[in-house]
Amino acid sequence: MSHQDQTSSFLLRFTQKLFEDEAGETNIQWRGKITHVQGNDQKNFTEMKDAIDFIQAKLSTMTLSSIEEDASDEEKEGLLVKSMDIWKKLAKSYPKMMVDAIKDPKAQVAQIQAQLTNKAGEIQEQLSSKAEEISEKYQLESFKPTSKSDIKELSEQVSELTSLITKLKKKVDKIDKKIAKS
Amino acid sequence: MIRFDDSHIDALIEGHARAELKIYTLGQFKLDLVDHEILDNWGRDKAIQLFQFFLISRNRTALHKEQIMDRLWEGDATDQNFKVALHGINKVIEPNKKARSKPKFLQRQGASYKLNMEHVWLDCEAMESFLEIGNNVSSVHPELAIIAYQYAVKLYNGVFLPNRIYEDWTSTEREKLQMLALNGYISLAELTLEDQPDETIRLTEEALSIDPTWEEAYRIQMMAHMINGNRPQAIRTFNKCKATLQDEFGIDPLPNTIQLLKQIQGK
Repeated sequence: MSHQDQTSSFLLRFTQKLFEDEAGETNIQWRGKITHVQGNDQKNFTEMKDAIDFIQAKLSTMTLSSIEEDASDEEKEGLLVKSMDIWKKLAKSYPKMMVDAIKDPKAQVAQIQAQLTNKAGEIQEQLSSKAEEISEKYQLESFKPTSKSDIKELSEQVSELTSLITKLKKKVDKIDKKIAKS
Repeated sequence: MIRFDDSHIDALIEGHARAELKIYTLGQFKLDLVDHEILDNWGRDKAIQLFQFFLISRNRTALHKEQIMDRLWEGDATDQNFKVALHGINKVIEPNKKARSKPKFLQRQGASYKLNMEHVWLDCEAMESFLEIGNNVSSVHPELAIIAYQYAVKLYNGVFLPNRIYEDWTSTEREKLQMLALNGYISLAELTLEDQPDETIRLTEEALSIDPTWEEAYRIQMMAHMINGNRPQAIRTFNKCKATLQDEFGIDPLPNTIQLLKQIQGK
């Protein structure tokens, strides 16, 4: 029996509110909005748990809608439990990063930076090792590029990647500065 | 850094007048080809989808056919579908193109494609450009900022590609444009507050129609009612803000909104 793949996409918006309370102390509040793209349903939240519950409800509906009508109640329940088990495992680990971001943005930025640095290092290592492997196997000088357009395309893609990395770095620096100020 | 002045606004207006292909994506999807509206001669929906995908990817380098098909149709399309969709686009936007001649708008580099924006005017791109001018001059040249913001919000006729709200490849662009429009309404509302409080009220209502929980819009509207000498209406605006935040988030308004209410009440 084959089943069609189904997708649910969610869009998260966070608005940060910095304000002074009556004692003159600066406080922070996060207001979130989650949108289920395929259904265009939305929910506002201040606690991540509400966003996770919203996702869980949508995924349950998706699982139920994909079970064939003539399936028995036991089959439906079994599939739903399996689906939710997978989601629960994901929900436990993935939103932790977002929850941490809300609780401690500075530590989170440091964590993201460390992850980016590690990832960049890993990629660089992989690339170097791949390059060595290739140069050992083949004599690259004997190869000629297929066409100018290929080179142009490749060069454009490299420029795009470089520009994206620069933008990303700027964003991270900006966030870092904001947090240092707060 | 660019120093924006009137000439930048004029250039944007001229850009619209000069463009051979005008594309409207905010609150609608409409194309004007040298002042002739293109109606329903697209044929298949895949052709429209592909064209709209090119619009979203306009600032990227050319995208490979496989990448496009994967993102757009998630493996549910063949090379033939792509070819037919591409042909459909060219038929619509270049109806007089001679067979085997190079397309003017859709550029091809090997198996990669992109939309050539040189002769194209796109409403959301124009909106962003007007907002950029407004944001850059609002503190030094508020009169010019007002004009720029007015053009920008006039272009925002609704969400980006409203017929695609259920398709995730359009979500990022829609969200980005919605937030830009919202900030445009708020910036303009602040600039018109002193001299045109009624306009400020209208603009904040527009902002609240995009996001009813946007607290800043309520605050500006409360001030506008006070400038109009309408204290009861200012208090009603606060109450609406409080009720909405309670319903949607279960929270109270921020201290500065409550402080503003106290000032209004003369406490």
